[in-house]
Amino acid sequence: MFKKRENEPAYALLNDASCQTLNRYGHTINTVEAGDVRRDQSLNINDDNSISANPNRYKQHGFYFNADNCIACHACEAACSEKNDNPAHISFRSVGFVEGGTYPAYQRINISMACNHCDDPVCLKGCPTRAYTKYAEYGAVLQDPDICFGCGYCTWVCPYNAPQLDPVKGQVSKCNMCVDRLEVGLKPACVSACLGNALDFGVIENIPVNRVQAKTEIPGFPRTDITHPNIRFQQTRTPQRDMSRVDQNPVKYHRQQNSESFNPVVDMKHGVEREWNWTRLLGSHENAHIAFTLSAQTVMAAFLILLTGCWFEPVASFQSSSAMMPSLYFMFVLISFGLFKLNMHLGKPERFYRGFYNLKHSPVSREIAGVSLFYTGLIGYIFFAHFNHGYTQILQILFAGIGVLGAGFGGYFMYKLYRIEARPFWNHWYTAASFCATGLVLGSLLLAVIALLFSSMTVGLGQVLLSMVVVGLVLDLAGLTAHARSLQSSSSEGAASFYLQTTRYGNAYWLRNSLLVVALLLAIYMLLSTNHTVFTYSVLTVIALASHIISRALFYVVVIPTTMPGAFFWKNQGFVEHAREVGLVDMPQLGVVHERHHAFNISELVETIKTTTMKQKFSQLRSIFTG
Amino acid sequence: MLFGRSKKNPIKIVDKGVIEWKYATCGYCSTGCSIEVGLNEAGKPVSSRGVADADVNRGKLCLKGIYEHELFDSAGRGTVPKKRDHWHEDWQTTDWDTALDTTHDEIRRIQEKHGRDSFAIVSTGQMLTEEFYTLGKLTRGLIGTNNYDGNTTLCMASAVSGYKRSFGSDGPPGCYEDFEYTDCLIAWGSNLPEQHPIIYWRMKEAQEKRKFPLIVVDPRVTMLAQFADIHLPITPGTDVVLQNALMHVIFDEHLEDAEYIEANTNNVEELREEVAKYKPSMAAKICGIDEDTIRSVARLYANAGAAMSIWTMGINQSTHGSDGVVGINNLALITGNIGKPGGTSLSITGQCNAMGTREWSSCSGLPNYRMLENPQDRKDIAEFWNIDEEFLPKKRGMFQTDIYHAIETGQIKGLWLIATNPLSSLPNSERVRRAMQKLEFCVVQDCYEDTESAQYAHVYLPAGTWAEKEGVMTNTERRVNLVKPIVTPPGEAKPDLWIFNQMAKRFNTTGRVFFPEKSADIFLEMASISKGRLSDISGMSHDLIEKNRGIQWPYTGRQLSMNETPPQGGKRLYTEAASFRYADGKAKLIPLPFIDNNEVPDEKFPVWLNTGRLIEHWHGRTKTGKIGNNNKYSPIPFIEINPDLAAELDIQRGEYVRLVSRRSDAVVMATPTQRVPKNMVFLPFHFHDCANRLTLGLLDPHSRQPAYKQSAVRIEKLDDQKAAAKLSMEMRAF
Repeated sequence: MFKKRENEPAYALLNDASCQTLNRYGHTINTVEAGDVRRDQSLNINDDNSISANPNRYKQHGFYFNADNCIACHACEAACSEKNDNPAHISFRSVGFVEGGTYPAYQRINISMACNHCDDPVCLKGCPTRAYTKYAEYGAVLQDPDICFGCGYCTWVCPYNAPQLDPVKGQVSKCNMCVDRLEVGLKPACVSACLGNALDFGVIENIPVNRVQAKTEIPGFPRTDITHPNIRFQQTRTPQRDMSRVDQNPVKYHRQQNSESFNPVVDMKHGVEREWNWTRLLGSHENAHIAFTLSAQTVMAAFLILLTGCWFEPVASFQSSSAMMPSLYFMFVLISFGLFKLNMHLGKPERFYRGFYNLKHSPVSREIAGVSLFYTGLIGYIFFAHFNHGYTQILQILFAGIGVLGAGFGGYFMYKLYRIEARPFWNHWYTAASFCATGLVLGSLLLAVIALLFSSMTVGLGQVLLSMVVVGLVLDLAGLTAHARSLQSSSSEGAASFYLQTTRYGNAYWLRNSLLVVALLLAIYMLLSTNHTVFTYSVLTVIALASHIISRALFYVVVIPTTMPGAFFWKNQGFVEHAREVGLVDMPQLGVVHERHHAFNISELVETIKTTTMKQKFSQLRSIFTG
Repeated sequence: MLFGRSKKNPIKIVDKGVIEWKYATCGYCSTGCSIEVGLNEAGKPVSSRGVADADVNRGKLCLKGIYEHELFDSAGRGTVPKKRDHWHEDWQTTDWDTALDTTHDEIRRIQEKHGRDSFAIVSTGQMLTEEFYTLGKLTRGLIGTNNYDGNTTLCMASAVSGYKRSFGSDGPPGCYEDFEYTDCLIAWGSNLPEQHPIIYWRMKEAQEKRKFPLIVVDPRVTMLAQFADIHLPITPGTDVVLQNALMHVIFDEHLEDAEYIEANTNNVEELREEVAKYKPSMAAKICGIDEDTIRSVARLYANAGAAMSIWTMGINQSTHGSDGVVGINNLALITGNIGKPGGTSLSITGQCNAMGTREWSSCSGLPNYRMLENPQDRKDIAEFWNIDEEFLPKKRGMFQTDIYHAIETGQIKGLWLIATNPLSSLPNSERVRRAMQKLEFCVVQDCYEDTESAQYAHVYLPAGTWAEKEGVMTNTERRVNLVKPIVTPPGEAKPDLWIFNQMAKRFNTTGRVFFPEKSADIFLEMASISKGRLSDISGMSHDLIEKNRGIQWPYTGRQLSMNETPPQGGKRLYTEAASFRYADGKAKLIPLPFIDNNEVPDEKFPVWLNTGRLIEHWHGRTKTGKIGNNNKYSPIPFIEINPDLAAELDIQRGEYVRLVSRRSDAVVMATPTQRVPKNMVFLPFHFHDCANRLTLGLLDPHSRQPAYKQSAVRIEKLDDQKAAAKLSMEMRAF
């Protein structure tokens, strides 16, 4: 437990004499009511089983930030990192700023932000490993790095950049509300360190002495309906009409007419020149996702086409042709590669089995479960294809069913997990259209190429597959058009993503669009002319594949989250990329580290299997469903 | 567990296992915060926190203090003495005796060949007061060179000079408590939140209890300027004009405190005559502040019950820095704002112990504000040290800035650098580099062996840093506070005091001068010669200082013997009528004609170069550049440039640009912001081979402090960004 000094200064002491019953979102401030079994339990901090007598222990607490006063002195960040022993590249709290006006009527608003211990923590719901817990004590949302397997999904869904993915350790960690200090009646370390009298802490909705507001809006802070964050602001100085970010994000915040609220709008800070930027486009850490989504969608679609298409004669004849088994093998190899890439991008690949832990809430868990189900179905289907008995055929059909079920379930949640409120670029039906199109186009072409290679191509099969390619391409183009329209007219980070897509990656963007159109025209021509030469299929496949790779790379690289503004160096992804590109990253003390891959630690896995009792294993399994 | 998991896991929170907290005074700026460093079971410093009951910081620390425990084992610490015949050669490690003997022999050789003053000693504001005192005794009493100065010439010399000219002595008259009583605060070229964050917090606390108007004079829209009630975005280098115009209004509208002037000052008529020339309408054209605002500020300041001024480098680092200080003092004197609660002219000092060196190092004179020019002072000290009175020079020698010019012209042949890095910190680095290459012998004594100035050294002496040593430091409000050894210096490195004492043995051949070994004993020696002086510390001892978390001087032996406990804070100077340090007790009002000798932007170099500090860095970054959780906020040099200027020059955010001045050039990253006007860039000075390659640094005629903040540059777009990035990176390697 935290050792409190006898003479702690008054500013460091918790001092909520009273509080309200309901917060502004209509939730009770009491986390659990009197008499609840969850009361009066120890938090067991570092094996200390004492129970704090803090009278407000079961009330939702939150930070209070007076933006009028913050001087960006970084004392809060330093105190936090010092207490939590964080290396320079990790910080649970960070200060960024927005600025506006013209000299000397210049205005800068600094924003210090950590975790907001939300009423609806999307990190907790999103985390596939159930590393997150929202405690009845103080309403703290705590994350356990020992459970985390480092997928980083929580960092995607949190609008406030609270969870910190450490590329070195391969795990996430975050603000723990200094619950050890709260237990002894002290405010968190960051609050006690504040030198501008800007940061405060207490029971939520309580306004500190000498302060007059408890708003949830300041320029640069994302909307609150996503997570119902427990943070309140004061900001009484009228901001300039436009407050710009100084990090690389092409976003500024524009004051609404007759309103105090600010909306994110595009800030064309990189100019309007169209560029290629291949290295950044294809060199991102998200390559594993490109490989996984493309291969899984292709294989799942090809499998579905094969199995559900058996009522069509051409597909049925493919099934009985010499191309059938090679196509299954190829599908197996391809999806295995995708799964391997996905698993190995984890910070802790040996903890892969934890991916199922949060079926109750997490779309990631459901996706992993679905795809695993499909993988099982595919393997079983291939395996029993080698036998020719009555019961093996039944088993094969059973596995086919599992595969179809898994593909449907996994495919749906693969899409669903990208519908993230804090990532407007993804949060559109285009994501579904694009994923389906990948399956239809690449899945069909996979079958067509193998049919050609094994001389099993027929006019009928070609027509079926090409029709699906055409449908896929039309769907993709329709989705793209709708997406572009929606982004351009939106007032969100989505518009900024579109700006990035059409400038910094503008050439790749237009190349992709052109390739899609060329592919569509070629596919229609082939369909109408019944041209089924190896050459035309190869050309079509290369064009389609290239367009999909570019498309998916764009999907990951231009997404701009509705996250907190950074500073010019610190918390500026642009500077991080620059440091990695030019080698500054190799200097110690820079606060930037390389992205890195983590080896599969077999000994840790074996150790876990050995030290976990059967009973524990069963209870783990049970909790997958019970929570 | 509202949801997430039904079975709670135990919570793990980092516990650094601190078993003991050790007391020290922070070694960064002059605020003088009391700090505790936590040691774990292995005796390793793992944590820092502010001392809760210390009046200065009341439990708070800034980000540098919070990470001060990481200082001890930072990269580049020197662990063995080193030696070489020529700076071209590789270093050879050696033992202490050889290193010290060589140094002694070379000093004497040079002095014998070229005269006593041909060997110069340049020290710092970073050491402990007992060390300064011992070095002063060694230099003045035994080595006998008059070219002995500290790097405080680069930051505080103008304040020292201005105080001396106005009040008859150095010594800031106010204290932090003044914020609690003032009715008007003017901050001249001082960006408290960034440079002295804890003093800012004290001001903020006072302001939240009782709102008082804040006026900020600064050409850049700093956070403090943004929070000001009135911001005066002044044209660089024209403070004296603004001050004269303010006094013009005060006299013109009869807002002065005639009674106070009569009782406490001389020379008011000369002052009246001079400021009569500065009509606000005329001044506005020079200083860029409109006449209405000048009048409004003058009235606000003069009508306030108690008004105070604080200032830092915006005033000091100027060709008329000393005049700027005198101007601030003039304003305070004519309105009766000295020595009363909330009414003061308080120089916010720079280095942690800049005050200690001013009081005790004998750089500019003799201990405790005694002057070489004063025969009685020479006599007293010569007797006390047991040296020949005639051995002491009759007036002070060169300032650090002049010493470098004398190396250039060949007058000075040898140099002892102590805890300072002129290759980074002096203006016009290339000129400094050329000078250093000419030295016959240079010894560098520093806690870092990778300090850039060691490139041209022949002997390197590894020293302890901050709380590897014991002694006191004096802060901005004249509070003497204690540093205790928390760890021992690494390897064979030794505390500076030990080095001075060992060196003294070699010069003290007859043994007539006494050098106590222990810091606490030296303090008592100092206390005994402080009796009856302005800076009387005769009631203090190390133990009493720690107990009180620092004591403001004066605190006399008489007060101690009468059991008068030292006050927590709130001690001021010149509280009695006519108690200034001139013979008649009256302060001097000095007229300040304005001479514009700055380098100002022109056609070839059209942009002002304004330099300054960042909160996360300390001076030359030797310390903070190695601590990731400080350095990361600004790891490479950058300029703030107005977006309109950037657009004209086709410079994008985050691009490297080349700044060119009449001296040399620098490569920096551009961050466009409206914080600066279109004809100015702001460049932090912390980075080696950067800002000071550009600065001219004309010297103030009184204080010899360089004008770092007024130079002219042009900005060039760089087409090869990769090469620029590489160059910028190479210059950051330690």
